[in-house]
Amino acid sequence: MTDSKYFTTTKKGEIFELKAELNSDKKEKKKEAVKKVIASMTVGKDVSALFPDVVNCMQTDNLELKKLVYLYLMNYAKSQPDMAIMAVNTFVKDCEDPNPLIRALAVRTMGCIRVDKITEYLCEPLRKCLKDEDPYVRKTAAVCVAKLHDINAQLVEDQGFLDTLKDLISDSNPMVVANAVAALSEIAESHPNSNLLDLNPQTINKLLTALNECTEWGQIFILDCLANYTPRDDRESQSICERVTPRLSHANSAVVLSAVKVLMKFMEMLPKDLDYYGTLLKKLAPPLVTLLSAEPELQYVALRNINLIVQRRPEILKHEMKVFFVKYNDPIYVKLEKLDIMIRLASQANIAQVLAELKEYATEVDVDFVRKAVRAIGRCAIKVEQSAERCVSTLLDLIQTKVNYVVQEAIVVIKDIFRKYPNKYESVIATLCENLDSLDEPEARAAMIWIVGEYAERIDNADELLESFLEGFHDESTQVQLQLLTAIVKLFLKKPTETQELVQQVLSLATQDSDNPDLRDRGYIYWRLLSTDPVAAKEVVLAEKPLISEETDLIEPTLLEELICHIGTLASVYHKPPSAFVEGSRGVQHKRLPGSAGSGESADSPDTGSAAGVSEAPPAVIPSQGDLLGDLLNLDLTPPTTSGPPPAPSSGMQMGAMDLLGGGLDSLMGDESEPPPVPQRTDTPQSPQLSHQSPSPPDYSPTELGGDLGGSPAMGAGFGAPPTAMPASFPPPVSGGLDDLFDLGGSVGMPMGAYSPPKSIWLPAMKAKGLEISGTFARRAGVIQMEMTLTNKAMSIMTDFAIQFNRNSFGLAPAGPLQVLTPVGPNQSIEVALPLSTVGPVMKMEPLTNLQVAVKNNIDVFYFSSQYPISMLFVEDGKMERQVFLATWKDIPNDNEAQFQIKDCHLNSDAASSKLQGSNVFTIAKRTVEGQDMLYQSMKLTNGIWVLAELRVQAGNPNYTVSLKCRAPEVSQCVFQSYEAMLKN
Amino acid sequence: MISQVFILSSKGDHLIYKDYRGEAGSDVINIFYEKVTALTGDQPPVVMSHKDLHFIHVRQEGLYWVATTTAADSSPFTIIEFLNRLTALVKDYCGSLSEKSVQMNFALIYELLDEIVDYGYIQTTSSDVLKNFIQTEAVSARPFSLFDLSNVGLFGAETQQSKVAPSSAATRPIQSSREVNVWDLRSCLTVCPSLTEMRIGLNEEFSIGKSQLRGYGAAVRVDECSFHQAVRLDEFDSHRILRLCPSQGEQTVMQYQLSDDLPSAPPFRLFPTIERDTGGRLLMYLKLRCDLPPKSLSQELSSPDQSAELKLQSRAVHWMIPRFPGGTQLSALFKLEVPGLSSASMLEVGPVGLSFELPKLTVTGLQIRFLRLSPIQPGPSQRWVRYVTHSDSYTIRI
Repeated sequence: MTDSKYFTTTKKGEIFELKAELNSDKKEKKKEAVKKVIASMTVGKDVSALFPDVVNCMQTDNLELKKLVYLYLMNYAKSQPDMAIMAVNTFVKDCEDPNPLIRALAVRTMGCIRVDKITEYLCEPLRKCLKDEDPYVRKTAAVCVAKLHDINAQLVEDQGFLDTLKDLISDSNPMVVANAVAALSEIAESHPNSNLLDLNPQTINKLLTALNECTEWGQIFILDCLANYTPRDDRESQSICERVTPRLSHANSAVVLSAVKVLMKFMEMLPKDLDYYGTLLKKLAPPLVTLLSAEPELQYVALRNINLIVQRRPEILKHEMKVFFVKYNDPIYVKLEKLDIMIRLASQANIAQVLAELKEYATEVDVDFVRKAVRAIGRCAIKVEQSAERCVSTLLDLIQTKVNYVVQEAIVVIKDIFRKYPNKYESVIATLCENLDSLDEPEARAAMIWIVGEYAERIDNADELLESFLEGFHDESTQVQLQLLTAIVKLFLKKPTETQELVQQVLSLATQDSDNPDLRDRGYIYWRLLSTDPVAAKEVVLAEKPLISEETDLIEPTLLEELICHIGTLASVYHKPPSAFVEGSRGVQHKRLPGSAGSGESADSPDTGSAAGVSEAPPAVIPSQGDLLGDLLNLDLTPPTTSGPPPAPSSGMQMGAMDLLGGGLDSLMGDESEPPPVPQRTDTPQSPQLSHQSPSPPDYSPTELGGDLGGSPAMGAGFGAPPTAMPASFPPPVSGGLDDLFDLGGSVGMPMGAYSPPKSIWLPAMKAKGLEISGTFARRAGVIQMEMTLTNKAMSIMTDFAIQFNRNSFGLAPAGPLQVLTPVGPNQSIEVALPLSTVGPVMKMEPLTNLQVAVKNNIDVFYFSSQYPISMLFVEDGKMERQVFLATWKDIPNDNEAQFQIKDCHLNSDAASSKLQGSNVFTIAKRTVEGQDMLYQSMKLTNGIWVLAELRVQAGNPNYTVSLKCRAPEVSQCVFQSYEAMLKN
Repeated sequence: MISQVFILSSKGDHLIYKDYRGEAGSDVINIFYEKVTALTGDQPPVVMSHKDLHFIHVRQEGLYWVATTTAADSSPFTIIEFLNRLTALVKDYCGSLSEKSVQMNFALIYELLDEIVDYGYIQTTSSDVLKNFIQTEAVSARPFSLFDLSNVGLFGAETQQSKVAPSSAATRPIQSSREVNVWDLRSCLTVCPSLTEMRIGLNEEFSIGKSQLRGYGAAVRVDECSFHQAVRLDEFDSHRILRLCPSQGEQTVMQYQLSDDLPSAPPFRLFPTIERDTGGRLLMYLKLRCDLPPKSLSQELSSPDQSAELKLQSRAVHWMIPRFPGGTQLSALFKLEVPGLSSASMLEVGPVGLSFELPKLTVTGLQIRFLRLSPIQPGPSQRWVRYVTHSDSYTIRI
């Protein structure tokens, strides 16, 4: 008699038969019947009709039967809530049973019956079980609190179960502690601010103690919980690390990985020169290596995690290259992952070994793997300069194999090597040309054409080669067509005499016979360039290209930091932050490494910023590209914003830039009834000419494009302004200097420019996913400006910038949108000046000149706060009449007078006076008493508040005294600080 | 956190389905099966997602063992480890892993699943703890046979009477190619009902790590060592004694790994010659040497019972050598007709993979000094210590 017969009953009337059996008097028969019911349930048959009969079997002292009935209940109670009530009495009774197994079973099952009505009956038994004498019951009850919380959170809070659960953290049984921690962690996730799992040194200590005693799975809960804790200092961090380290030699790889996560996180806090830091690094390597001896599934997960760890701390595994060598019988997904890690670990020390391996891989049978191996050789060449020569010769060997896909891949890779080491390995070109005919993949063809065009002067029959490609021009993919166009233009510029016909042909093919706007536009640009000024064309098209960067395929540092916090979780396998693949709220918290989340947390939290609306900032913030294009082409240089800085200097600048092009563009546009949307291309500054996958995303720095392509970005180069700044209404490099000049001309009698503090970093890249903002405030020609440098330190392009302010003391608000019109590429920075008005909403801030700012881009919204110098608010008509000054001075009560000392200032009174006047602090009168110069000064803030000052300067004494009188005495402190800054600047 | 656990047969039949958190319905089983059968070879099958649900599975004995989760912070590592433990437990309880044994013991497996995971939190996978809770008796798929100890149901009634405590410590290299070695010391204990403690003594000069050298003799050195959690190491540092209270079932007591300097030369060396003869045939001349010390002069030396076969599907030649005494050498010449043979395709030949079993030998020199049980068993008890080295991946490039 085996159980398998239960699966074979398919007769009709089965339910009826089962019903009869369930109501049988014989225990054995009952049990058999319940088993049959559960078997049917498993294969998906609906046996819910038997609910009452099964529930009747519940009252039994046979534990086996009871378990089976409970199993049934858990499955069907939800669909039959009314019937489920029938079971409640038995549950309550079972919770008092002398047998702890039955008590635990009852409380476990009750929690799984997700029916609202029975939760209220659950409370009393649960309360008892939480304090049960048997740890098995307590640990089951602890989990039950989490279950109940999921069904009815309010009830759990009202009943005070959470406090009981907290007490269980100090339970004597480690299993109970582990379950309590797990339950609390889960409940805490749905209440982010509740501080339920109050991690402090005492609880941490308890957890660490329980860690040594509980089961392997309990250790995982506890370690994961520890990973959320931020130690107060490096000593605490070290002591936790010391107690976690023994877990690294656990046989359960999940425990090992959780321990690695805790250590990787807390290591951030340890000073690098500490001996212990080095010891810890050494201890981390062996367990990671051991993970690779597990089943392929675990290996894969381990490798994905090691990939992250290697990027963050390459030193851990730098001596362990060999374990990442690919085994012949590894599954392909493990092979590819290993290859990736090998490249990351490649260095001068081990490159010979790595290359020998890669060469082996390149002769294996698996096509995908072979391709990746060939690419890897190229990446080695680019990463380790000393190895480049050997890599090239390895690649040549591979080309000799004539295996089609190997040859193609090798050619793509060699092109990248040329980009990194130009004019070094051209001797191989001859070999490459031999294989021209075998290339059938667009990427390889494009690469080959690029090489021919780039080195046209050294290839005798370059024209013939390119001509042969030209025959099937329309059958080629866009990638190849674009490349061919550029290559032939290059060839023409290098050997103009023989190739005139060829270039004519390609230009007409590209412009007249093609439907592809990219191709057509590029064709027109070249055509126009060549016909107007071949010399300029040469400069543009044959410009020197920047070298491609070394380290490739890296994960963005900020994302990497987040992923390190998620080691061992799904995020680390997908290499995506949890927010990218989990909807809803649970578990989506941005985690940061402790080192980076040190100070200024207020700026980090969205609560402090008022800018709730920023995230939904209207898309209209940025003028549409179309308008801009119109502006550019018509040479209509009115800046899109009305209250911007004076347009005169900048427009002059752009005029000049336009002149560089001559009438070229204009007449080109004139020829065409439909102007090609040239500058739109600037928002996709990717090189269509180069393969994007290989070897690296940083391939497309716009300057390189400018030089290389002569496509749209070349216009940027031609304009003489960096492409990033091109569409902006005032080129940033000019704005500083020229505007200062303008100030001078504009307001007569100002000997010096207004004071503006040097730029400081407002928003570090660490906090803003790679966006760094540094900036300052200035008053230029009566307009308050916020001058910022936005630097993109991430690996992806940033676009769609917008800005908003929180309410502030003087009602500062952006007078126009943030003018960042071109996307900011990786490692690029852009200067923006944002004119500010003072008509925004007012709220007194602490400190008074604090300004909270929200900046949005395509990635996220970021918050920071900065302080502006109050001198920025001094208006130009702040000069008081003498009489009025005297009267006001007397009028303001003496209580409002504040006196300050300015130390170490070596100006005489006249110099000080003129310096201050530059910032709209006007000297009304000067008196000399006993060798002491008294300057009486006035200034007016944008909101109409007058500040009166008396500055005492004694010849030979570097200490000044300032007395300030103002009806609003709270500004005095700020004004004094400005005085000091202005005078010492 | 585990949301559901289910077991599918290779044809996609539902064998076991257990929902822990009520987050998804049972319809996901079919979604999983569609996904897993649609996978191509180069896609990592380990983690797959469908909307908010992530499937993690292992395949054992033709069955899919699947767990689903919805929480982003759940660890695939934990879940895979758990699934592996689950398969081991089911194997321990039911005697063997097969569609049939799972079907026959479904009530037992449900009981197990109920006990080892609660609301998605893994509680315990230790058979010692579980035996206190599990009521259902296993149904064995096969009649009990004394010769088939490894497949015996742990809790089968007959075996419990047995006083036999077979214990074999086998060393098994997980990987032994290119001087990278990972070894596995397993102690397989099948039935020891009243056993309280076992002490295993290892070589005294056993050392872990590079710096830690002990004694004067030829040290047995490994780089890294991990132990089963039941192993107590208080006597390990001083006397190299492992103390453990074995739970029932098969366990890996210790795992060690060794890279770079091997204490002895690799057991086999291959001298390959590959060339093309005038008739365009591929000639492979393989000379294989076994460098193990010649322990006994074998009679079979003159007539090794070898065979060779060409497997077209895997494009490989299989050369079977049933017995290969240490200190001897074998050679074989294979002539292959390969259409369109070029000099470049010569590069594609290889590598040579060896799989073998070496009895009475551990490559590191690790030995069991003694094996003691306490308290002393009344009546005779037998101990077997067997050393076996299995190859896992022993690859030689040509």
